[in-house]
Amino acid sequence: MLASSRDQQSRTLIFLPAWNEGESITQVIADVRTQLPDATILVIDDGSWDDTVEVARAAGVEVAVLPFHIGLGAALQTGYRYARDNGFRYFAHLDSDGQHPAGQLPRILEPAWSDRADLVIGSRFTQEGDIPGSEFRSSPLRRLWIHILGRLVSGIHGQRFTDITSGFRAGNHRAIDLFTRIYEPDFGEIEGLQSALAQDLRVLEVPVVMLERQGGASYLTALPSLRFMFKAILTILVGRFRGAGA
Amino acid sequence: MTTLLGFGPLLAATESAQVNLTTRSRIIAAVAAIFFFALVLELIRRRKLQERYTVIWFILALGMLAGAIFPQLLETLANVLGVRDTNAALFALLLLLLLALAFESTITASRQGEQITRLAQENALLKTREARRRAAQAFEDDES
Repeated sequence: MLASSRDQQSRTLIFLPAWNEGESITQVIADVRTQLPDATILVIDDGSWDDTVEVARAAGVEVAVLPFHIGLGAALQTGYRYARDNGFRYFAHLDSDGQHPAGQLPRILEPAWSDRADLVIGSRFTQEGDIPGSEFRSSPLRRLWIHILGRLVSGIHGQRFTDITSGFRAGNHRAIDLFTRIYEPDFGEIEGLQSALAQDLRVLEVPVVMLERQGGASYLTALPSLRFMFKAILTILVGRFRGAGA
Repeated sequence: MTTLLGFGPLLAATESAQVNLTTRSRIIAAVAAIFFFALVLELIRRRKLQERYTVIWFILALGMLAGAIFPQLLETLANVLGVRDTNAALFALLLLLLLALAFESTITASRQGEQITRLAQENALLKTREARRRAAQAFEDDES
């Protein structure tokens, strides 16, 4: 870590959307602290019925508790709104289940800190394929979906993306402002990326090593694949014409 | 019904078989319409139904009543729509109306969903702010 980034670290909010992640969240918080001791950590509890809130508070971080389960997109937007309300200039968010290793946070934050990108997406794949040494293994079907969706978005927007559904992201105040205004409760990742591109934000994809999930259930795999595909394609096609006005 | 092209005789034959509303069905429709009308009014009075949602239901009740009293209206409507069977026209119209209402409900639900999301987020953020304020307060009290 560069010494010059200490100041930027203190202006960075790391937020973790959590839905019944009581088992894994303590470790994730500890990992983030080790990596970025000067950053602020916020946990957003999306209506958990386990001890997520108590566990996170015991770990000494602030917890924003949504009154009921709304969905990943709405939880993430709560984080963006917190960042805007409290004047944070940079952000990163990662899953609370441990599949996004905190060790990779500096990697995805660096382009935002050095003002090379407004939105940084941590990708499980490189432009060539799987990252060597990555422990991340998803089902072939899901990888195919991600690949097809990525191709679709890449083709439409003229910039190559390999992992558009990744929830491991970072960025600066421009992305915070945008996502405070609009963030879809469903498939916010794809729509968010598209509105960022529509607003001429500089989006950068950075390959990161991801891990197997430590616990809990993925928002994505919980959905029937076909319905997911249909909605995702609709989102992508409509998103192309929607811009970011609303 | 006006004679269309050269199929006049053929059409006339089918037209005569047209099913019309019987007196009994008209009475039932009228009673239902009046009952419905009263129900809407009562719900507004008891504040169970917001006034902005009542216009469409009033119009529907009025339409039912008008159709029951003046069945010619239905026939005129069927002619305008180009449907030979008055009953079919009635069903088609009701289906379209229900479709429009269902669609309107979905739009309302989407808007309200967005509002609920916003409220939930505001609520969560306010609670964190309040907790922080109280913690600072407790710290100050300890100091003094």
